[in-house]
Amino acid sequence: MGLVDKGRLPAPLTKLFNLSRSYSLWVYQWGLACCAIEMGAAFGSPRYDVMRLGVIPLPASPRQADFVCVSGTVTDKMAPAVKRLWEQMPEPKYAISMGSCANCGGPYWDSYSVTKGVDQIIPIDVYVPGCPPRPEALLEGIVLLQQRIKNEDMAAKWRGDEFTTLQRTRAMEAGEVDREGELISDTRSISDEPMPEVAAAHPEPIVVGGGPIE
Amino acid sequence: MTLTDRQQLSYIASQAADARLNVELETEGMTLNIGPQHPATHGTLRIIARLDGEQVVWAEPVAGYMHRGYEKLTEVRTFPQVTSLINRIDWLGSFANEVPFILAAEKLMEIEAPPRAQVIRTILFELSRIANVSLFLGDLGVQMGAITPVFLAFRDREYILNLIEGATGGRFHPNFDRIGGLKDDLPKGWIQETKGAVKKLEEFCDTIDDLLFGNEIFQSRMRGIGVIPADIAKDYGLSGANARASGIDWDLRRDQDLPLSYDLADWKVWTHPDGDSWARCWIRLQETRESCKIVGQLLDQIPAGPVMTKVPRIIKVPEGEAWVATENPLGEMGYYVVSKGDLGPFRVKIRSASFNNISIVPWALKGVYVPDIITILASLYFILGDIDR
Amino acid sequence: MAQLSDDTQTPQGDTAPAALPGDGLREGIVDTLRNDIGEALLDTLLKPNDDLWVRVSTESWLATGQALKAAGFTYFCFLSAIDWMPSPFGNSQDDPDDEPKQIDMTIKQGYTGGETRMQVFARLTDIDRHVGITVKADVADDNQVVDSWSQLFAGANWHERECHEMFGIGFNNHPDLRNMYLPGDFEGYPLKKDFPLLARMVKPWPGIVDVEPMPDFEEAADAPAAEAPAGAIEGAES
Repeated sequence: MGLVDKGRLPAPLTKLFNLSRSYSLWVYQWGLACCAIEMGAAFGSPRYDVMRLGVIPLPASPRQADFVCVSGTVTDKMAPAVKRLWEQMPEPKYAISMGSCANCGGPYWDSYSVTKGVDQIIPIDVYVPGCPPRPEALLEGIVLLQQRIKNEDMAAKWRGDEFTTLQRTRAMEAGEVDREGELISDTRSISDEPMPEVAAAHPEPIVVGGGPIE
Repeated sequence: MTLTDRQQLSYIASQAADARLNVELETEGMTLNIGPQHPATHGTLRIIARLDGEQVVWAEPVAGYMHRGYEKLTEVRTFPQVTSLINRIDWLGSFANEVPFILAAEKLMEIEAPPRAQVIRTILFELSRIANVSLFLGDLGVQMGAITPVFLAFRDREYILNLIEGATGGRFHPNFDRIGGLKDDLPKGWIQETKGAVKKLEEFCDTIDDLLFGNEIFQSRMRGIGVIPADIAKDYGLSGANARASGIDWDLRRDQDLPLSYDLADWKVWTHPDGDSWARCWIRLQETRESCKIVGQLLDQIPAGPVMTKVPRIIKVPEGEAWVATENPLGEMGYYVVSKGDLGPFRVKIRSASFNNISIVPWALKGVYVPDIITILASLYFILGDIDR
Repeated sequence: MAQLSDDTQTPQGDTAPAALPGDGLREGIVDTLRNDIGEALLDTLLKPNDDLWVRVSTESWLATGQALKAAGFTYFCFLSAIDWMPSPFGNSQDDPDDEPKQIDMTIKQGYTGGETRMQVFARLTDIDRHVGITVKADVADDNQVVDSWSQLFAGANWHERECHEMFGIGFNNHPDLRNMYLPGDFEGYPLKKDFPLLARMVKPWPGIVDVEPMPDFEEAADAPAAEAPAGAIEGAES
């Protein structure tokens, strides 16, 4: 798709692409602890049946996956593996953090060996709170992620811009960028002072249920 | 087609090089890494195996990817707060984790739960065993390459989770056991519901028996694989179904005197003389059936009365040491609780079953073939939270 | 239903527990052990109808294991250690606004006494006689090393690795005392009482709000041993 490469895509085509992308999500199950069982119940059991949402839960490797569901306690020993997994996934990629431990450390907030939140390692799109969240909560998180994908400016995302639609709108309002997404002022120049990678490359995360991430 | 001299010479030279190479070539071992995230490992266990061809020369599990520091954290929690932590050790049978700790605290305080609470505790304990082992039975199929059993397991496990949720409010981590009894009484209609669900689970056991245990491929991959003799099992401290599959007749539900109501029911302890992967899985299947039987019988024998004895609102446990172990779904799980008369324990040593059960892996995997690694690991049955704690 | 497993069904045992171990049996075990290791048996404690604790000297730690294994305690349950020093940080549950409490730092050992800060303890079970025993031994403060049981009970290998990692106790003749849980570059021994939990140092204990007086608090206060922790309650009321 040359149009995508050029970074300019007619709006109807964007809509069509986003629609198809959001309903053929391949999820990599990064089950770590208790939440992995609830994730298994959501993805693998006949009662919750995630495939009706257009999510395919069985890719063989992270290289085939569209989004990863990190569910469970991330320990300091595990953290490098999570980071490597994230780097192996092809763009565009999304991440769901499931459960209190992955969100912020949860009941192990004072432990000496637990990473207090997977968002220290990889950027998270949707937080699903709970200990562990019910399978329904995870399904809602997936639906919210699909809504985000539907509203995305795909060309910008595939260009690797640091702005997505929402951020660009905000940046335009703030007068930082023009309509083409070019920086007006050099206050945010990447060459001078690199923005924190997570904050720049990612839109604000969604929290299922809307409360604080706990 | 004729060859030029030059071509012939280069051909001879390359042949000579090949020959040299063949002399120098030795078969080298290969290191196979399984995990830390692998569908066959029930969590984040990593197995490093050194292979010679198809055979394992040396294998070692690398634990610690799920180490959350329970023993340290219990020292900075109060006694009632500890239960919400230890719920998460063996996350498939959470209620069973609480019971030995609560019993140890009650032993130190010299109180005992009322009879009604004891029976309900036993019922919930066995329900969590069913919830745990039914998922094991389903997962067993996945590791042999059969997808269907896991769907059945997830379907039928929901009945048990609904019951646990109905009684305790939590699907996964009930946190329902209290020092001196239970948080609440059973809800109305729960007993009748449970009777129906237990029947469904008995049918599930029959289905799995037909589908999996009656399957020829399953049998040929399981029988005679990973044999563990009884004395080796004792040396490593194997417990639960793993020990009973090696012919050790040892079940903490029967062989010790705890304030639980197992003597009210008529049930059997199954053992198997073979000690192979098949025996371990088969014992678990039989135990699930026995658990269904226990629950079915106890439901008719719940005595009337309160579910909570009188305890102070702020619990201080007197100074002392106590060891209580129960027969958890994975094996012997015990807590060595040391109290100094404070609000929280001074030290809690958590003896979890999987830690001992998996320490035999380097011994058990020596000399087996690569596909058998998965079946042996599957049949030893561990949960990562229970190894790493 | 295909019952291919018929030939292997060998139910054994029944619900009636075999005679549970009496205290007489436990006394017999103590006598046997005293015969085997003599003076090295420093102290014993037998709680009626409960359990048996013995403490042996550090040098005879391995000999005790051998004697017990010969006496029928063939089932290895666990091995660990305990740090008897009170935590210099308290239980980290006090209100940060309160006066810091004075912490009594005297080391007081538990059952069967002891002389050192660290103790190793292990539990063995006799499966045939349905009886268990907890064995303790002091670990010298200046030389924190005891003999390894890993040649005696294969299962002790991992327990000693864990113990080394958590308490820094060395084990003579252990084949492989690597870290088991934590990354190799982790500093400190987490289960030692003087290992701080940094998160708690930085952030006050959020559970203080839990100790609010309940409506029925007046009744509960009458119950025995209901002495509220003074600091916590006052902190909540203020």
